[in-house]
Amino acid sequence: MINTKILDKILNKVEKPARYIGMEQNSIKKDLDKVKVKFAFSFPDVYDVGMSHLGLHIIYNLINNEEDFACERVFAPWLDMEEEMRKEKLPLFTLESKEEVKNFDFLGFTLQYEMSYTNILNILDLANIPLLSKDRKDEDPFVIAGGPCAYNPEPIADFIDFFVIGEGEEVILEILNLYKDHKEAKGSRDEFLEKVATIDGVYVPKFYDVVYNDDNTIKEMIPLHPNVPKVIKKRMIRDLDSMFSPEKMIVPFIETVHDRVVLEIFRGCTHGCRFCQAGMIYRPIREKSIDRLVELAEKLIESTGYENISLSSLSSCDYSQLYLLISELMKKFEEKKVGVSLPSLRLDTFIIDVLKEIEKVRKTGLTFAPEAGSQRLRDVINKGVTEEDLINTVTKVFKEGWSTIKLYFMIGLPTETDEDVLGIKELSYKVKDIFFSLPKEERQGNLKVTASASCFVPKPFTPFQWVGQDSIDEFYRKARLLKDSIKDKKVTFNYHDPKLSYLEAVIARGDRRVSKLILRAWEKGCKYDGWSEHFKYDKWIEAMEELDIDGDFYALRTRELDEILPWDFIDPLVSKNYLIREYKKSLEEQTTRDCREGCRGCGIVDCIMRGEYK
Amino acid sequence: MILRIKFNKKNYLRYISHLDLMRLFQRSFNKANIPIKYSEGFNPHPKFSIGAPLSLGIESNEEYMDIDLEYMAVDEFIERMNGVLPKDIQIISGKYLEREESLNSIIAWGEYEIQFQMNTKRDMEEVNEIVNNWLQKEEITITKVRKKKGQKIEKAINIKPFIKHIIVKGVGDNITINALLRTGSNGNLNPVDLMFALNRDNGLSIDLDEVRIKRIGLYAEKGDQIYKPL
Repeated sequence: MINTKILDKILNKVEKPARYIGMEQNSIKKDLDKVKVKFAFSFPDVYDVGMSHLGLHIIYNLINNEEDFACERVFAPWLDMEEEMRKEKLPLFTLESKEEVKNFDFLGFTLQYEMSYTNILNILDLANIPLLSKDRKDEDPFVIAGGPCAYNPEPIADFIDFFVIGEGEEVILEILNLYKDHKEAKGSRDEFLEKVATIDGVYVPKFYDVVYNDDNTIKEMIPLHPNVPKVIKKRMIRDLDSMFSPEKMIVPFIETVHDRVVLEIFRGCTHGCRFCQAGMIYRPIREKSIDRLVELAEKLIESTGYENISLSSLSSCDYSQLYLLISELMKKFEEKKVGVSLPSLRLDTFIIDVLKEIEKVRKTGLTFAPEAGSQRLRDVINKGVTEEDLINTVTKVFKEGWSTIKLYFMIGLPTETDEDVLGIKELSYKVKDIFFSLPKEERQGNLKVTASASCFVPKPFTPFQWVGQDSIDEFYRKARLLKDSIKDKKVTFNYHDPKLSYLEAVIARGDRRVSKLILRAWEKGCKYDGWSEHFKYDKWIEAMEELDIDGDFYALRTRELDEILPWDFIDPLVSKNYLIREYKKSLEEQTTRDCREGCRGCGIVDCIMRGEYK
Repeated sequence: MILRIKFNKKNYLRYISHLDLMRLFQRSFNKANIPIKYSEGFNPHPKFSIGAPLSLGIESNEEYMDIDLEYMAVDEFIERMNGVLPKDIQIISGKYLEREESLNSIIAWGEYEIQFQMNTKRDMEEVNEIVNNWLQKEEITITKVRKKKGQKIEKAINIKPFIKHIIVKGVGDNITINALLRTGSNGNLNPVDLMFALNRDNGLSIDLDEVRIKRIGLYAEKGDQIYKPL
């Protein structure tokens, strides 16, 4: 245990000290001397953000359900806390037992966004764990990582001992059980890595070497050990009803981003939007049954005391019996004043009935994501909504009394012209016109339309993984073009920082050499890069110059279809041929319809979906 | 009916803010199935209030709360609530009010136990002398900074009338004093400010970050009478 006297002193000096004390309801503190394997779970961002992540609650309860294992949490300390910790030489500790992270068997990171990678280094440093995998000794924890960004593990391959690709519910227990035996047999670090590398879905970077061509593209990836697989296949749970689902959630004392029960209703998505990584890597779609969901919801409400349930998934309106599910939940909880909310909405007219149902208890804000301003560009990205959908939905929504609408767009999408960019304005204005075209007695409140544009970042395992990103200057030009054209008080336009999106693109499609860049950037003081007020673009550029790393090579360059990509050795079940086909179709402005209406041949062998929906 | 309860707040849970505490109780009422009454209106909220909010970082032996609920036995209420509350926030006692008077209108004094270290070791007599001499001063002023419309406004306040008494309890490794201070909506002195002024005026080199404060009593005042709210 750390010196709690020093901790006490520090806690009096920092903002929101409750971030560091643990002891929340439903948190689990075991006697660490009595368990066989100790796992420290880390979301590499501040507590308030990390605690809102559903995966944490799943893995935490899953591991702690096992008598021999303990899972404790550690987050990135906020900057004031870090400063005090460094001053007092207080090592990073877990919230539950206030034990040094260094004394755990595993330190597991969840990789939710690339711009959290410098925080990983900062956490390792504060925990006194060597930053580079190759420098770690037998007494150091195994530093492991999973989550969506692990689908391209290469940019942080130097720091992570092994990665877990895909869904973790089954594989994490396989790993911990293997380790339990290994520990009892007193095996060495390398012996364990050799064994764990044979578990499906596990990638141990040190057992592979990468050879480059003269033009810096990859020539070959060579397995260095006879037992390791050439291709790492993602892990996927077939039946979500029988899968472990938490019946408890830790309830933070302080207010966090999502202060409610998060109920995961399904995984996967069938729309096939071509920019969307989640839509590809989480395939195929798998639902939990209504009975199971109602059962889980009751237990979660009872164990937390929360007054709101958020139905979570990639596109919650796609749940096959959404209306029935919501009715059942409302029936069950109306007396208890528990509300139900839907965080991600599509432009579908049938949602109005759903919204009306929800409104019985509480009114929620409305957000739609047309993603692109013109129909042509929406076809390119295969966002299967039309302007008519938007008009119909918005008209109904206004009639039901909503007046605040948020619209999400991207700029810099492949083939985008200025006309497409200005389409964002056209669409936003159209929404405004619909409101004012309604008879006065049919509309309520003050209209507010907010159009937000993020800068497109091409991601691995999407049909756009070969596409070069727009340059920072081009992003600014397009954003200004739009900003200058929108001159209506009812319509607000804002856009994300293109510099941040550029770095995100460098890292997202980076190879092993990008590890050095991340390390150098961290050495120069970069951390919390995802927080615009702490993002130090100049330091990143300096780091690139010092290391002679060309960011444009990773972000702006359009790849040839036959180029070996850094993440090609990962098998997400969706085939590369399918991605190539989709890419080519996009350039011809051809759409691909939802795969529930018929299989589109994405390459998943033995797909659960096939034949189930017609 | 209004139930008035006394509860404590100890150890690390002293770092839970007043608003977080309100949310904790709200969830705990839900979990314990307490028949609490809700306000009318567009966004109904449960009707309960805590008297004299405690500053972050201060422990307490007695805090008070009024709760509007459908009658249930006090013992059952306490048992159910303590079953769902954390071990460092527990209800000690409770009683239905015969007539309503809000906690905030009656609470006037708070007693604090304060532990700290000085630069040099002093015995009981010396510490007593420092404190008593200090309290003989005509005025003890501190400067409070308030933000108004983005501007910082400094205001000097004489805190002497807010100090009822200071009693030196012990001078071992730590010095322990008890201070009875104005608390509530009709004048309030934060014990942290008291320690700041004591340290500043007497050059004691107290590390203010290491001062440990616990509220050991809250008192109501009516006329000349000072009494416990429960």
